[in-house]
Order: sequence, then structure tokens, then C-alpha cells
Amino acid sequence: MALNSKKRKQNDHEELPPSFDEAVNMEMLSDEEGGVDIESDNGDLDDFPELDPDSDENDDEEYESEDEEEEESDSEQLHIFPKVKTVVSDITGQEKRVYPEIEPDYDSDSSTEDTPNRVGDIPMHWYDDLPHVGYDMDGKRILKPARGDELDRFLETVEDPTSWTSAFDKTAQADKPLTAEELDLIRRLYANEVPDAEYDPYEPTTEWFTGKGKKEVMPLSAAPEPKRRWVPSKWEHKKVMKIVRAIRQGRILPNKTKVTSTPQFYSIWGESSSSHAPPLPAPKPPLPTNSESYNPPEEYLPTEEEKKQWEETDPEDRERDYLPEKYSALRLVPGYGRFIKDRFNRQLDLYMAPRVQRVKLNIDPNSLIPKLPSPNSLKPFPTYKSLQVPHASMARCISVSPDGAWVVSGDETGVIALWEVNVGKAVKKWKFNGKIGTVEWCPRADVSYFVVGTEDMLHFIIPPNLPPTVLQLSQSILAPSTLPPVPETPSPVKWSTPSSTVWTDDTAILTIQLPSSSGLPVQIAWHRRGDYLASVSTGGSQGAVWIHQISRRHSQAPFKKVRGKVQLVLFHPIKPCFFVAASFFLTQQYVRMYNLSEQKLLKTLQPGIKWISSMDVHPSGDHLIVGGYDRKLCWFDLELSDKPYKVLRYHTRAIRSLQFHPTYPLFASSSDDGAIQIFHSRIYNDLMTDPLIVPLKILRGHEVTKGLGVLQVKWCSRHPWLVSGGADGAVNVWCS
Amino acid sequence: MGRLRQKGKAGAAKAYVTRSASIKKLQCSLADFRRLCILKGIFPREPKSRKRANKGSSAPTSFYYAKDIAYLAHEPVLKKLREHKAFAKKLSRALGRGEWSSAKSLEENKPVYKLDHIIKERYPTFIDAIRDIDDALCMIFLFASLPSNPRIPPSLIENCSRLAAEWQLYVMRSHSLRKAFLSIKGVYYQAEIMDQTVTWLVPYQFTQNIPIDVDVRVMLTFLELYQTLLGFVFFKLYTDAGLVYPPPLDAKKDEVAAGVGAYILQESSQKAEKSAPKIKIVEVDGRQVSGKDVYKTIKSLALSSSNVMDVDVPTVEHNPRDTEEEFIVQPSKSDETASSLPTLQSIEALPPSINTSLFAPYTFWLSRETSRPVFEFLVRSFAGRIGWPSSSGGGSPFDESDESITHVIIDRPVIDQSQEPDEQRARRLKRKHVQPQWVVDCINAGKIILEAPYAQGQILPPHLSPFGEYEGAYNPALLTNDEEAAEGESEDEDVEIEDAEPEDTEALKAVAIAATEDAAALRAAELAAEAAGIDPSAFEKEVAQSRRKSKKNSSNGVDEAEADMNKMLMSNKQKKLYEKVKYSQNKRNLERSKLEEKKKDLQRQKRKEAKT
Repeated sequence: MALNSKKRKQNDHEELPPSFDEAVNMEMLSDEEGGVDIESDNGDLDDFPELDPDSDENDDEEYESEDEEEEESDSEQLHIFPKVKTVVSDITGQEKRVYPEIEPDYDSDSSTEDTPNRVGDIPMHWYDDLPHVGYDMDGKRILKPARGDELDRFLETVEDPTSWTSAFDKTAQADKPLTAEELDLIRRLYANEVPDAEYDPYEPTTEWFTGKGKKEVMPLSAAPEPKRRWVPSKWEHKKVMKIVRAIRQGRILPNKTKVTSTPQFYSIWGESSSSHAPPLPAPKPPLPTNSESYNPPEEYLPTEEEKKQWEETDPEDRERDYLPEKYSALRLVPGYGRFIKDRFNRQLDLYMAPRVQRVKLNIDPNSLIPKLPSPNSLKPFPTYKSLQVPHASMARCISVSPDGAWVVSGDETGVIALWEVNVGKAVKKWKFNGKIGTVEWCPRADVSYFVVGTEDMLHFIIPPNLPPTVLQLSQSILAPSTLPPVPETPSPVKWSTPSSTVWTDDTAILTIQLPSSSGLPVQIAWHRRGDYLASVSTGGSQGAVWIHQISRRHSQAPFKKVRGKVQLVLFHPIKPCFFVAASFFLTQQYVRMYNLSEQKLLKTLQPGIKWISSMDVHPSGDHLIVGGYDRKLCWFDLELSDKPYKVLRYHTRAIRSLQFHPTYPLFASSSDDGAIQIFHSRIYNDLMTDPLIVPLKILRGHEVTKGLGVLQVKWCSRHPWLVSGGADGAVNVWCS
Repeated sequence: MGRLRQKGKAGAAKAYVTRSASIKKLQCSLADFRRLCILKGIFPREPKSRKRANKGSSAPTSFYYAKDIAYLAHEPVLKKLREHKAFAKKLSRALGRGEWSSAKSLEENKPVYKLDHIIKERYPTFIDAIRDIDDALCMIFLFASLPSNPRIPPSLIENCSRLAAEWQLYVMRSHSLRKAFLSIKGVYYQAEIMDQTVTWLVPYQFTQNIPIDVDVRVMLTFLELYQTLLGFVFFKLYTDAGLVYPPPLDAKKDEVAAGVGAYILQESSQKAEKSAPKIKIVEVDGRQVSGKDVYKTIKSLALSSSNVMDVDVPTVEHNPRDTEEEFIVQPSKSDETASSLPTLQSIEALPPSINTSLFAPYTFWLSRETSRPVFEFLVRSFAGRIGWPSSSGGGSPFDESDESITHVIIDRPVIDQSQEPDEQRARRLKRKHVQPQWVVDCINAGKIILEAPYAQGQILPPHLSPFGEYEGAYNPALLTNDEEAAEGESEDEDVEIEDAEPEDTEALKAVAIAATEDAAALRAAELAAEAAGIDPSAFEKEVAQSRRKSKKNSSNGVDEAEADMNKMLMSNKQKKLYEKVKYSQNKRNLERSKLEEKKKDLQRQKRKEAKT
């Protein structure tokens, strides 16, 4: 036992200083005791004193020795308290504890040795750099003894055979030979043995409480043994019985037979089904066609280009997921590489693709085309080109006389030609400087003259060969002998008439000088009575629109301020109303309808056209058509709404001109694509019936030059005839 | 004024849920959600306005009906999936701790879900199930031919091949196969079961490899459902036919690769007795014939007598008493009900039924290079007998030397057979050697067609799809008959004229075209033609032709122009619809005309080759 060996060591150690022995001798009797103890340790370990209740009868000494030894071992372990002795007091007769006396000698402590150095137990390397190693009792330095150099030391080791078993002692500043014990310790460490030589790892077990005669006979507690120690548990029994019963009833199978993993099939559709409607079945994939055959007719085989195209397109975009192939025998057909992929795609479709129920369109596309009366039943309308009047350049403007017999046409070189509709031969030509912007006959039946618009000017011209009464009346209206009084506010527009002596057929009888820089008049609109006319010029701001009164020889600007740019104006055929088509910035286009007598805005129509090119009112005054450069034609029902009743887009290029026929239910539109479209437009008196619009005929005959087609169309008032002026310089008459 | 409506409380926002929202609601993983969707047949829907359905967001998502998801929340399978998740956690923990016994007991009590209720729910009636087994069959046949790998256990493949064999057995026994088509993808079969057409595709016998971009999990989930569905469907089909399901497997035969023949069809005697009042079974030539079969045979007799001359249809002797029982006409009090009875006309108006015992009088021998499963199935479905060499598998009912063999299905080029023994030659001459396509073409034609074009070594006639194409599609069979002749004639004429006056014809044509315009020009043209020395009769012919042409053109032109003008007044919506319809029409027409042109080119080439 480690404890015992330690103790003995202690004892050995204690033997060394005799003074200590002497000191404790008188009371401790330690020597003998110690010897006995060693012996008992070594030999008679079995004799552990039994814990005997009768031990009280032991004699004092023995007891004391026992006690002392225990105490001693305890103190050896703890090293806290000195050994205690219990003696019977002589005075009281009671037991008392007696502590050994402490002698305050240096000898009492084994650590105090007779060394000259008195620095104490400090790390000696503090003196490494100093010449001394400490101080003696008198406080004098103890100098380090002189030590030889390395060579001396080497020589010493060579000479001294014990030098290898010695080590340098710092306190003594000298080599000291190691003791035999120390050497043994080093050897043991070196050999991986237990360092303590005394330790025996194979000691026999000491049986303290087992073995014969060593059992505890008496119980530790006096409590009676509880019943649960020997009666079987009721609750355990109940639990077991529960399981037993379950096993007997077959609820618990001791060796559970494995349920077969394959699903058992039975007549699932035997019982009546729920009233739920079945979910819609998934659409089936299309059935294979001839091209999928292993041996298709040869025409199904793709050409090289088709193959290449198929390979270049993405798999998602391909119309077919395979390329038709032809094999001469079934045995030559290879496996289809995309089979699994196809199946997988089908499954993806089944569970990931959103399904929409679509009504399959099974309609005849021709049924979508509106059924309209045949054009043949809506005759007469112009169908063919009856004659052609050539012009040197673009025939930009034409006008038909109110009786429908005469036509004036103007072109860009400034030439005005007057010709008969039936004949087509120019009776007279006038030449003006610059372009002709517009030409318009006066709508009055009892007079006959027309207005020509050139740069900043309006010329009033009376055609030749008139009956004398008409001529006279025309002259008196345009150049009355007594001029009306000049208005007080001076107008920028000047009316001038040459003196009657110089009147000829070649010159204008009346000229209106518009304010300078007002540009070319592009439109002249006559009031139905023929007394007022409105002119629209390209240039100028508010000066673009002027209303001229012939009888008073007076011009006025109807708008003080116009938002945007006026493009077209029109007089209402019945009411005192005035239409203005204007563009406001580039985005907003509108047609405004003003009441002239009350001088207020009646309506703003929104055609939704980018660029308004032309406009006309139906003779009934309730319908308005507006054409635009963006190819659209809007039909407005003025009673109905501000929005167009119908928007038609049939020309491939910009619409240039539009006109309703004054008497027949017809209207025509011309476009830059060189075509003229004739429509039948019937308007019912019944407000509930929508107007009937029937396309009748497309007249082609004008050539497109410089991107311009037919620039203007005009109807002859008494016949269903049409006069059209084109950019190719031809003025055509179309007859029914 | 009504109550103010809060946004997102009604309408599309409430009726649809996005996928992520539904996953969140069901508290399951995306994989589980997918599995559920596959099993329950729930698919995304396309709302009218995606923005409205997604609460104003236009992010690309898929939408489900909120009600579908609400039903899913009560799904027992979902519960089982959750249990399985817990089980997987427990098992992995047990394995991690090395608690082998608890792991084993966990494994034994692993939660397993059943799909019976889903089958019943998705297909409330048997007809619904039959209608939807196309995809199931395709998958089963595909997996029956796949090699096993760690993802696809052999037991699964075995089960698939068992189901495939059971299906084939049933189709063969009930003679319900109608059409077959050899395509480049595989063999398409179409059967008619309970008046529902079932089409399935079987790949050719080659090893398939699953591509990387295919998610096997999805396929396996589908397969799980399909296996259960087909099990129930086959159970019903077999029991209705008075057979035991599942048919027992003869292990010995299976060992020698007898294929379909390894399964034994057993009649369930008790069940047959029970179902006797429902389905009459008449034994003819050791074969069961139901009343339906009798009826069909009568019909086919009537038909075949008119158009099929070279086939002797086996006349099935039917018991007159039976038929009387079948068609008991109750003497009606009024004659009005008589109209509901099938009249001769109504029977004739029915689509021509297929002669299901087409190959009954013949016995076939399969050459070794032909695919046994395909042709065994085809021939036996049409009541033929078939044998095969042992190299194609065991179970052949007879061997090659059998005297009753009438046809040999052979797919190899002709070889020199001068050295063959006399016996073999005699045998060879007695039998008809046909290429495999003959069998399929016979089935699709519904009659036995001439063997000569299909004889060994012949270039086969094209194999056409029996399923037909869309209406107005290019018909390769039609053009060969009509237009070929017409075109041939016209071309011949052209050739003649060319031969006569090659240099004058151009002038003649131009003149004739000009002459159609007016009388004066005609007169002038006549004179010019005379001057040029052209035969007057030829000239007149030419004029008449060009006149006809111009008339046709002009009349067409007027109509078209009018229609075009009327199009102006179509509304924008109508115009778009019109263009859409026209687009598809034009596309179809273009396709057809392309094929026709190709055909003509090919014919011209052939004729040229024939001449030279």
C-alpha cells in the first residue's frame, strides 16, 4: 500500500535526526511502535483489527497505540494538525487530549539545514548574473567559487569517472554526485517503469468485508425489511397480464407476419360512387400521322434544307419532335433515342402545365365577313374612267361647278384649266405665279365664279362664255359700282378690284390680299348661301383662318387665339355652325363645332387620328367623316357621341381627300396608294337605325408619283360621277 | 350604394393560390407537394388575369385552385407523408446511435400509404378509368423494357412486365385490338374496350438509357399511381371476363422466356356461375363467345360479303335460342316505340366493325429476326395461331416443320436457295413468305390483302397511319389514283404539241390569251395565226382554253374583290379572329400543297427514269 510505504519512509526519515527522536521520546514511544508497525505492515496484513463492540475492554495502552497509529496516519495524510494523544486526566478522571509540545528550534523543521547561504528558498537563477550567490549569517556575500573554463570542465569529466553521475547544484555552486536512489529513479524513468521502487503493482487483494468470518452479521439499520422486497409487484403483474390477454386475443402477434407489400386489388368500382363529377380527363396526346411511319410515302421525307432547319430550331419550337425517316425493312428500324424524354415531357405536361379549357374555333372564316348588299344592287356609282385631262404637274386641286357641268383644276405650276365634264377639253387656262393651293366654285346657282388661292392671295375669277344675266350678276356682286363702307377698324386683309375698263377673262375681277406671310391657302370653304367663305392658310398663327364676306367686302379672323394649328374648316350645310379641325401639339387632334350665331363652342369631337387630312359633312348635316394621314377614316354621328361611330382602315397609305355626294348616297375617299374608294352611305331618318356603309368600288388609274397618289376627289352634283386629281398630273372623270 | 369591397377578398384573388402559398399552407416540402399533385391529379390553372389572381403582382408563377389545395389539406396521403418524414428522422437517429434493434422495428412499422381511395376519387366509374389508361399503359410498357439500376429496383420492373403481360393477355383474349402502327418511335396499338379507344405505344426491343435531364423521381411517382390504377382496372376486366386475377405465373415457362405465354388464364368457376345471367357465354370451338361477339360477327358477315372476297370468315354457329333471348321484342301496345329498335338502316349506319377473327384460318411462323412479342400479340389478337423458333423464346405451340403453317413472317433479304434440300424447298413453296408489315396492314385494312407486294425481298408499299389525319389533310393514297392520270394526259398533250411546232407555241399562246379580250382582237389574232401557219383547230382549242381560264379568274376575282371590300367593315376583333383562322387554314393548305408538289416531283422523276 502506498500509504504504508509512505509512512515507513516517514519513519525512516524520522530516524535520521536523533534530536527529534529524543524530543518526542518521553511520550510517544515511537521507536518500538514504529518497528512493530513496520513489521505488521510487512507480514501480518490479515490481522486487521475487527470492529468489535467489545473492544472497549482492551487495555489503555493498546487502545492508545491503535489510536495513535490511526491519528498518525491521518496526520501524515493531512499534515495540518500535530499528533493528538488522549489520556485520562489525573485530576478529573476524564479523558483528555494532549498535544505534543512544540519546540521552537530550527531543528524542529527539517527544512532548516546548516547551509552558509542564507538567502532562503528562492529561485537561485536570480543570482545567475551576479558574482555572489547569496549572503551568509553575517550578511556577507558568499561569492561564487571560481570555476574553470569549458576545457577544464571537459578535462575534469575525462579524469573523474563519477562525473557522469553528478549534477551541478546551484545552491552549493558545485557538482554533486547523485545518490544511488536518484540514479535508480532516473533508470526507472528511462525504462518506463514505475518510478517508485517500493511500489508493487501486483499486491494481493486485501479482503476486508468478504471471506470467511468477515461478513457483516448485524444489520446497519434496525428498520424492518419492507414487504416490497419479497412480494411480487401487483402492477407489474397487471401489465404482464394485459399483454398476455392481448396475445391470447390475437391483438399482439408475437412474430408479426410481414404484410405483403404488393397492393391487394379488389372490385373498387363495385360500390356506388360518390355523386361528385369526375375530374376532366387530361387531354390525350395527338395520334401519330403518316409521317411518323417507319416506311412513309417518300413525299413525307424532309429535304436537306428542312432537316437543317429542324435541327437549328430549338426543341421547344419544333413543330414535330421527330424527323420522318424511311427504312426498307422493319428489322433496320433502330431504337428511338428520345422515347423516355418524350414520356417525361408528357408527364410534365400532365402535372405542371396549366390547363385551360378552350372552345375550339370551328367557324367558317367567311362567316365573319359582314353580309352587305351586293354593290350591283346599289348602282349607280362610278365604275370606269371616262376621260382624262392632263396637267403639267401635280393636279393638287379641282372644283366642280354647282350645276356639275364644268370643272376647274389647278396644278403646282400655277395653271388653272377650265373644262367641261362631258368633253374634257380645256376651254380656258389661267396662269398664276406660284402654286395653286385651292380652287373652289361659288355654290350660288344664279352666279358663276370661282376662287383661286395662291400665295397670300385669293383671286375671284368669272369663267368665260356665260349667259349675260349671270355674268352681269356675278360682276355686280364681285365688283359693285358702289363699294360698301370701309369698316372703322382697319383690317390687314385688302380687297382690291381693278377698274372695269381693264376687265378681261384672263384676270381676276376681285383679289383679296391676305396678310403677308400667311402662306398658301390650302382650303376654301363656302357657306351654302355663297356670301361667306372661309380660307385656311398654311402659315401664320391665328391669321391662318379668315372669314370673308363678299357683300360687305370685309374679312375677319374668327378666332382671336387658337390652341394648336387649324387644319380644316367647314360650314354646316343647314345650321349656322362651323367646324374646325385642329391639331394641338402633336398628340391631340380634335374637331370643334361652333355655333356662329351664338358664338360658342357646341361640341368637341375626338377622332383619334394623328393627322387630320380631310373632312366632310353629310348633306343632312348630322354626320361627319374625317380622314387622316394615318390611313383611318372616322364616321361621326353628331347626334350620337363625341367618339367615332365607325373607324375604317382600308387604304394602305394616307387618306388625302374625302367627299360626300351632294345628292346621291355616296361618298368617296382617295389615298396616296393611288386608289379611290367609293362607298354607299345610306342614312335613315329613323334615329334607331345605324347608317349603312357599303364599300362599292375601288377605282384605280392614278399612278403614284413621289409617294403621292390621288390628291383630291370631287363629285359632280347632278350625276354619280367623280372627278379626281392625281399627283401624276392627270385629272380623271369616273362615270357610272 | 352597396358595401365597399375590400381588395383581395373575393374573386380571382381568393379563387387562386400560387404554388409557394399552397406549399406553405400544406406545410410540406416541394417534393411532397409535387408527389401529391401527381397522385391526386391536380394541375395548375391559368387565371383569366394573372395580375388579379396574384394580388397585383405580375411575377411568373403557377396558380392552383384554392379549393383544390383545400381538399389536399385533408388528404390521408399527406398525413402519411408527414408520418414518413418523422419516421425518416427517427430511423436516421437510431442508425446514428447504432440502435439496431429499434431501427429494425422502426423499419418494420414504416408508414405506407395506399392509393385506393385516390383511384376511386379520380375515376368514380370504371369507364372513367378506362378512358385514362393510355398514359399508364405507355409507362408500364416502357418500364417493362428498362434495365434495372439503383433507382429502379428489379421488383418494379418485374411488376411492370407482369402488368404489361396481363394487359396483352386480356386484349388477346377479348379480341379488342383494333389498329396497329409501326412508327419510328415504336409500335402504336389501339384497342377498343367498353367502347373506349385505348392507344398505347410500345418501344422497340432495345435497351433504353434514362437521360440525365429526366427526373426519375417524377416518373416513379407516376408509375406508383399507374401500377395501382392498372391493378384495379385489370382486376375488374378479368373478373368481368370470368377470369382469375392475378393470373398465376408458370415459373418453368417463364424461365425459358415464354413471355406472355408464361401466365395461365384461369376461369373462375364460381364467379362465372354468378355472372351467367348477365353475360351469356357460348362455347364455340373451345372458345368463349359472348352475345356481343355473335352480334359483331353477324355484322361483319354482312359487310365482308360485300367487299372482302378473298377471305372466308369463320362462321360462328350461334344458338338461335340464345339470340332470341338476346333480342326479345316485347309486343308493344302502340307502334310508336318501334322506332327505337335498331333497324337495318341504323345498323348499316354504324361504323364498320372490325373482323376480330381475321387470322383465324391461318397459321403463322415467325422467322427468328422478327420481334416475337409484337407479332405474337398482333396475330393472336386476331385469332391466328403463331409459332416461333426456340431462339425467340420458349412456349411455341408448334415447330417449324408443322404442316399447318400457311404464312412465314420473314424480314431478311432473299438469298440464293439453290442448294437447299428438296423437302425444305417443297415446304418453302407451300408457305407464303411475307414481310412483317403485311400483318399490320391487314389488321388496319380489316381484311386479308394480297401477299404479293409484301413478299420477301420486295420493296414494301408505304405504311400509312391507321389513325388518320385532320380533315382536309394531304392524303397520299388519293393523289396516286386521280391526279396522276389527269396530269399524265395533260403532260402528254403538251409533249405532242411541243413535238409538232416547238417554236410557234409560245406565240400561239400569247395570241390566244390576247384574243380572249374582245372580238376584234380575236379576228386579228386569227389572221395572225393563219399567217404564222398554225393549225386553225389547235388555235381554236387554245382560245377556248384561255377563255375558260379567264372566265374562271374573273368570276373568282369579282367575288374575292367584293369579299375583300366587305372586310373593311369588320370590327378589329373580328378582323383579328378572321386572320387567326385564315392563318391556320393557310398553314394547313401550304403543308398539303407542299406534300402534293413533292409527290408530283417524285412521280415526274420516276417517269423520266422509266423512260430512260
